[in-house]
Amino acid sequence: MAMTAVARETVFALRRQIAKIEGTLPERLQAPARATPAGLPPDAGVTSRTLTIVRRGMAPPDAFLRTGAAPLDAALSGGLPKAALTEIHGAETRDAGAVAGFALSLASLILREQQPRLPILWIGTSEIFREAGFPYARGLHGLFGIEPGELLFSEAPRLVDALWVAEEAARMPALAAVILEIRGSPQRLDLTATRRLHARAQNAGRPVFLLRQAGEAEPTTAPVRLIVSAAPSASRETIAGPLAGSIGRAAFTVSIGKSRTALPGQFTLEWNPDEHVFEERRAGEERAKNPVPVVPASRRRKDPAPASGAVRAFAPVGSPAAISSTARDQPSRPQRPAHIGPRRAG
Amino acid sequence: MISHRDRNAQRISALDERAEALHLKRGMGIADARAMHPSIDVVEADPEADRRLLEGLADWCDRYTPLVALDGIDGLFLDVTGCTHLFGGERAMLDDILSRFFHQGFDVRAGLAATPGAAWAAARFAGDHIVQSGEEEALLVPLPLAALRIEPEIRASLESVGLRTAGAVMTAPRAPLARRFGASLLLRLDQALGRLDEAVSPRLPVAPLSVERHLAEPIMLTDDIERLVSLLATTLKADLERRGEGARRLALLLFRVDGAVSRIAVGTSRPLREPLLIQKLFHERLAALEQDIDAGYGFDLVRLSVLSAAAFDMQQADLTGETDDCDADIALFADRIRARLGDGAVLRPVTVESHLPERAVATVPFSEAPQRTSPPRKPDRNPLMTIYPPATIHPPATIYPLERPIRLFRSPEPIEVPATEMPEGPPMNFRWRRALYRVARAEGPERIAPEWWRGQGGEDAPTRDYFRIEDSDGRRYWLYRQGLYGASQVPPRWFMHGVFA
Repeated sequence: MAMTAVARETVFALRRQIAKIEGTLPERLQAPARATPAGLPPDAGVTSRTLTIVRRGMAPPDAFLRTGAAPLDAALSGGLPKAALTEIHGAETRDAGAVAGFALSLASLILREQQPRLPILWIGTSEIFREAGFPYARGLHGLFGIEPGELLFSEAPRLVDALWVAEEAARMPALAAVILEIRGSPQRLDLTATRRLHARAQNAGRPVFLLRQAGEAEPTTAPVRLIVSAAPSASRETIAGPLAGSIGRAAFTVSIGKSRTALPGQFTLEWNPDEHVFEERRAGEERAKNPVPVVPASRRRKDPAPASGAVRAFAPVGSPAAISSTARDQPSRPQRPAHIGPRRAG
Repeated sequence: MISHRDRNAQRISALDERAEALHLKRGMGIADARAMHPSIDVVEADPEADRRLLEGLADWCDRYTPLVALDGIDGLFLDVTGCTHLFGGERAMLDDILSRFFHQGFDVRAGLAATPGAAWAAARFAGDHIVQSGEEEALLVPLPLAALRIEPEIRASLESVGLRTAGAVMTAPRAPLARRFGASLLLRLDQALGRLDEAVSPRLPVAPLSVERHLAEPIMLTDDIERLVSLLATTLKADLERRGEGARRLALLLFRVDGAVSRIAVGTSRPLREPLLIQKLFHERLAALEQDIDAGYGFDLVRLSVLSAAAFDMQQADLTGETDDCDADIALFADRIRARLGDGAVLRPVTVESHLPERAVATVPFSEAPQRTSPPRKPDRNPLMTIYPPATIHPPATIYPLERPIRLFRSPEPIEVPATEMPEGPPMNFRWRRALYRVARAEGPERIAPEWWRGQGGEDAPTRDYFRIEDSDGRRYWLYRQGLYGASQVPPRWFMHGVFA
């Protein structure tokens, strides 16, 4: 008995050491535990649908950045690691707005927690700033509440220089967050380069967001990779309900590309620019917020005109399949009033 | 032999000793010279290269004194006041200069005198001569008029009246000379004799502080240079502390054995005096310049000078003996980045009062003025102010418009808009970077007029109508139409200006 306890202690010690070397918290997926292992508080596990994630390390309570969207946080078992490299991918360069917006909203969440607000450094190659646009301080202030004085930009002509700047910046605790933005899948940004960034971020305790526009998922050291694209926004809320045809809050579709704990999943988040928090968009909400345009019913004729637009048969949430344009132009069949007979041809 | 074109004729501008032995002279036509000696070798003059060489030599002469001035196309002034004792006296210094130039392959004539005019005359007409103070007159008396640095026209007219030496001019009465030949003659004369002060304007501003080290054995390795920088910076620190200053701009001068001089400058965001930090800055700079600096046979003199300094704020440490100054870290970080990648490598956005989106934010290179914490505000007498803190009464100074994109293209990119639903409305679809986008929703327009008080177009410049567009995939863009439909013959053009989150 004593032997097993000693052996278990040794295993735990080794596991902790491995975790220290790897620089990650020792976590693993586990089938729903019949009995919580001794020595662990019962609330250490976060329940997901079928799997329980049991955190075995001495994770400090603020090691994770909670996005505020509960399902995403639960899937990431508490949020994004704060002292780590986090990859945020965009499928195409034209997604740069959404990818940058998501990273900045995370930075805004970080800034909100800090009392002396430290600056954010955004490093990019000249190529990406030319292709995807230079960050615009007024827009960032309006949307994320980041003051122009809290922003620093670094534009490097070559990727090597950008990586050097990022490595130098990642080790500085005087920066709130470092955003490194590059385009494509350059060979130089390999496992070694990301490991250097990750190690420095861990030592400094600051997050490094690696934004990769139009890049492919490659093996890197980052513990979490998120794939972000823009989601159609909901309509603006007015007193009289949603305003048809308007463009509301920024929305992102976030899918987890890589994580040690999470299952692949897709989440639609909405950024609240007033409160500077994320809100999860529900499946039904999108439908309710995109009503068909209201058209006054015809008074003279017996049959009311069918509402313009379409009654959509929504695909399950998560697949962005849109309604085909032909279906949108014609009223769908069940909408025809039942007391009128089938229309004759000619 | 070197020729140059003067008044439509090729003339000899310079010639070597062997050509002089053939009785050729400066200013002689090339055709005449060729007629006398058909085998002469003529090279076209290159004044630019001569100038570069002279500046290189002036750089090299920085090792003797910081006050080096160019004199015409073929001379250098060195103000060695107070420097001679460093080289073992005037004669030793002159010999050192001459021998070093000789070993570099230059034929140099030098003169040393208390006034620039006398030194000039001694160098050009007496040759390797040290004129003691008070002996200027004795030097000048036998010399021709050219030794007085006067214009050729004045010289010719003086010679025409029989005044052929400087001594003759000195003995002539001054008033008629000034009346007849102008004030410049007497000015030059007085300057040469030390009756009037003449300032030699140096090529480069003199650094307020500099330290240097002569090396017996030339160094070549970057590591050695950095170590030396650290040593020099340690020496510099004491001087800076005595003056209560920190360096804002530093220059490192590397004198190569064969005469080439490399000048490496770094700037700092805040006054700096720590040797380690200075060494770090030069480490980045040297790393960036690794290809550009050719060590050749090594550097035998290294000088670190402070080009500009500023008051240094001492910061008091807290009880644990630590100063937690994040700004200083960032300033140092920015300095290192800028030392390696150039001044524009770290940028800082600054809001500008303008309604044009691209002008509303300017990015300036990060440089931090010495910041002082604002003094504590005096308590306000206004009773209303005590009830409501000022923040609740005054609106914020700048109200930012909410709907601005998060990324803005540096120059708006033209897009093709085939059709709009309404003439003044948003497009139905558009083509940007050769891809077609279908507009799902649009908001706008927001009209932004050009700043007529700035631009060339005046009030007739076309206005912009901005639209927020969401395409069928949910991406949000900021487009604008420049001009109005039907306002002029040319149809309005559409541009993509930014993207939203």
